[in-house]
Amino acid sequence: MGLGWYIARRVAWSFVVTFIIVSVTWGLLTAAPNPEVQQAAQQAALAGDNPAEAQDRVRQLRGLDRPLHEQYIGYMTNIYTLNWGWSDSRAQPVTEAVTEALYYTVQYSVPWTLLVVTLGPLVGLYSSANQYSWKDHLATGFAFFGYAIPNFFFGIILLLIFGVELGWIPITYNTGVPVFSVENAIQLAIPVFVLVTGSIGGIMRVSRNESSEFMNADFVKTARAKGVSTFRIYARHVLRPTMVPLSTTMVAQLLALFTGSSILVEVVFSIPGLGRLLYRAIVAQDTSVVLGTSLFFVFVATIGNLLQDLVYTVLDPRISFDDR
Amino acid sequence: MHERGGDGERNGINRRSWLKALGVAGVTGLAGCSGDDGNASTGTESATATDGSELGTAEGTNTAMDELPDVSGTYRTDISGSLATLNPLYNNEQGAADVVSYALDLGYGFRPGTEYFPQLYDLTTDGGDVWVASVREGLQFGGDYGEVTAEDFVYQITELHQSDWAATADASSWPSEVNVEQTGTYEFQIELPNPNPLYPETYDPLLYPVPKALLEPFVGEQDAQGLENNPELTELQFVEGGNLGAYSLDQWNRSSNITFTRNENYYLREAEDVPDRFGNAPYFEELEVQVTQEQAARLGALEAGQTDSVAVPPNRVTEFDGMDGVDVYQIPQPFNEVCVYNMRDNGWNAGPGNLFQKKKFRQGLGCAVNKQALVQGVFRDYAQVQYTWQPQWSQWYPDESEIMQFGTGDLYGPEATRSRIREAISDTDYSYGNDGQLLTPSGDQVELSLYHSAGQNTERNMAQYIAQEFGDNAGIQVNVQAIDGTQFTNNYWQQQVPDDPDQYEWSNGPYNAGPREVTSANPWDMSVVFGLNTYPLNPTTASVFFSRDSSYNPYGYYPSWNAEELFQRANSAASEEELQPIFTEIFKNVAEDQPMGMLAFPADTVGYSAGIVGPAENFFSGWDFPTWYRNE
Repeated sequence: MGLGWYIARRVAWSFVVTFIIVSVTWGLLTAAPNPEVQQAAQQAALAGDNPAEAQDRVRQLRGLDRPLHEQYIGYMTNIYTLNWGWSDSRAQPVTEAVTEALYYTVQYSVPWTLLVVTLGPLVGLYSSANQYSWKDHLATGFAFFGYAIPNFFFGIILLLIFGVELGWIPITYNTGVPVFSVENAIQLAIPVFVLVTGSIGGIMRVSRNESSEFMNADFVKTARAKGVSTFRIYARHVLRPTMVPLSTTMVAQLLALFTGSSILVEVVFSIPGLGRLLYRAIVAQDTSVVLGTSLFFVFVATIGNLLQDLVYTVLDPRISFDDR
Repeated sequence: MHERGGDGERNGINRRSWLKALGVAGVTGLAGCSGDDGNASTGTESATATDGSELGTAEGTNTAMDELPDVSGTYRTDISGSLATLNPLYNNEQGAADVVSYALDLGYGFRPGTEYFPQLYDLTTDGGDVWVASVREGLQFGGDYGEVTAEDFVYQITELHQSDWAATADASSWPSEVNVEQTGTYEFQIELPNPNPLYPETYDPLLYPVPKALLEPFVGEQDAQGLENNPELTELQFVEGGNLGAYSLDQWNRSSNITFTRNENYYLREAEDVPDRFGNAPYFEELEVQVTQEQAARLGALEAGQTDSVAVPPNRVTEFDGMDGVDVYQIPQPFNEVCVYNMRDNGWNAGPGNLFQKKKFRQGLGCAVNKQALVQGVFRDYAQVQYTWQPQWSQWYPDESEIMQFGTGDLYGPEATRSRIREAISDTDYSYGNDGQLLTPSGDQVELSLYHSAGQNTERNMAQYIAQEFGDNAGIQVNVQAIDGTQFTNNYWQQQVPDDPDQYEWSNGPYNAGPREVTSANPWDMSVVFGLNTYPLNPTTASVFFSRDSSYNPYGYYPSWNAEELFQRANSAASEEELQPIFTEIFKNVAEDQPMGMLAFPADTVGYSAGIVGPAENFFSGWDFPTWYRNE
């Protein structure tokens, strides 16, 4: 059967998972009172009309008077044909809102991820190669500093130093510059730096401890005895087994791109990305946007899980899928 | 708009939004009006009959200029919150109204000296009951919509604002008793049920122009949702290429920025009845509104010269005013700072009954807070104290001797507070303990909640100060709690509209869904989340706050004075002379009845780049925004 069959099944399963999640949200939404209908009643009461009539009219206009199964099918069709409704707090379609926000989020999340994924293990490896020396302590100190200082605070401080005092960077993100331009690199440097220092600590420490295990392993000693170059030992014999448990952390890292920390950083640096979109939508009770962004996260999470399992097989030939 | 929460950022534009609709116009950092020379005149001994500086002085239309400014560069302003929509018919946010006005003028405005300033139409009357609107000729919509005529306005009023389906932001300004008729190509008349000599000052007849042809399909279908979401309106496409605004909307990147370019064809350039400086307006090539949520970043941008206008919180005004590149202006505004008491049945959660409903008790609380200290400590003197429903600089402000000044002099302190509260609780089981604590019938100290907007530092400081004063002077423990503005509106401020509104004496929508037994979803005691509008140009509009069954009574106030009758008399007064004694009577009653803790009138404190010429320290700052320029 092999890998191909396994992937096919996993992808199909992702669809089932999203389907279940979307159905549950539909159920919850249908059970909750519809704000539009309530609003219509209030307006009618204000104007001295009959609120019940107004409610019926809105129900009819929005198709809420149809039988439940019809509403459900309509809803599911809309979701899977990317017709995610209208954002009241932004006066545009939800898909447009999500793509616009994603466009800006990706610009900092891609360099952030790449840097964390490449630098993290390298710094960890460097630390374990120089265990308990001042270099190790320095690298560890750096990792813990970044982990400990709150991103938003660090961001504001750097903004004050490099933006207000030195005037090297614009204080508010300028959406008007091309993606691949020096200006864009300059304005994204600080946010990316803040995010990398904030999230590199975990990966760095895990890789340090994992690789320390292998530093004195038999196969490393054998390699040394054979006269393999130090670089090759670290890269081929230590780093590779280290990466297997790390890949789990990495995927979690990838998912974190679109959540938590990015909201704070987006607020501080005025980047109009997904984090801020979701946050504002929640505060403004813009249900369709909250749903849209949540669906996007569901999609990312299922894909992430899938990738995680695939990475395992590539990195560790001992894991086989034949019997799954 | 009746209320505002947060940090009153304003970019100096029209004030239509003060009136219209109900929404949170988010922003913080309010600061107070200065007196005549920058020293805040909040002294209570000084008579506060103002010299009119807050309302500005009238200027003639012929203020000659040697030469018009050069057109150059970009004007940038930073605001804290992104905008929900730019649809002129459905917008109810202050910030959005400001942004819309860059690209689309309203019917009229006011100039310093409270002088009517006709933009799209002039309003004239003989007796105050029939107002004639004369539309300026040569006004062009964008696209194929052609010229703006009286028909467009009349259609908008009668088919949308007076309809029962459209639910526009202006609907409350056009009750069905108001009769609107087209009387010529460029003329329509508005017939009021009662004469109103100050009708324009109510802002009720204030309209945006919207082409009839654009509206017709939606009117036919009665499709409010379609009208609300139409990109021609939400992105102001219907004015692109016309001459109705100083700038043209270029791009609206939601939650990031909005950019405009100069409109070569702005109609006021050619107008005869405006100052010469409109001759080549506007004077910036581009205009940018940047959404910067983080206050530190907004202020940093101002300091670094990357933006031209940002609201500055009171505790940082001195610092910014001292910078070379920044001038901070104190601009009077009409919203007050009030501590609202919940007199509905879900208020007063300390014990049985609701002491807030007793006038004597409210007067006691009025004596508990030292307003002078509040203005100095929290608002750094960029505010004036408030005793009644009018700022001291308003022409309608009564003579000081006429009103009770709670929170000052003899009407401040533990004795003044406790003696009144004792009187109020004499027929209840509440009592004062030996250590001066107000005790519930079961013997516990009275504890009340006080809500403020999360993230608004000035407001939080005010709430904490009130809590401290209530503790010291009234023996009441106050728990200060932060809450999100939207959450507060939906679950505390608005009541749940009853399923059968007819079972109550009145039910007027979410802000007054019925008598005191109709309540909001969650209980609450006190709030400083919203400041309320005092309508200094025409306080008759403020009647909405003081009648039991108005459309706006979230706090369940039942006046112990003849509010309805007095406002009725004010509404039917035929002249300003007739109005003055009526307003004096009203404001005397409000001061005495203490419907809520009336604390302070902060001014907006706005920092501008030093080179910007145009802003002024009066109520009408920004009326001539198209003529602002940068003096390099």
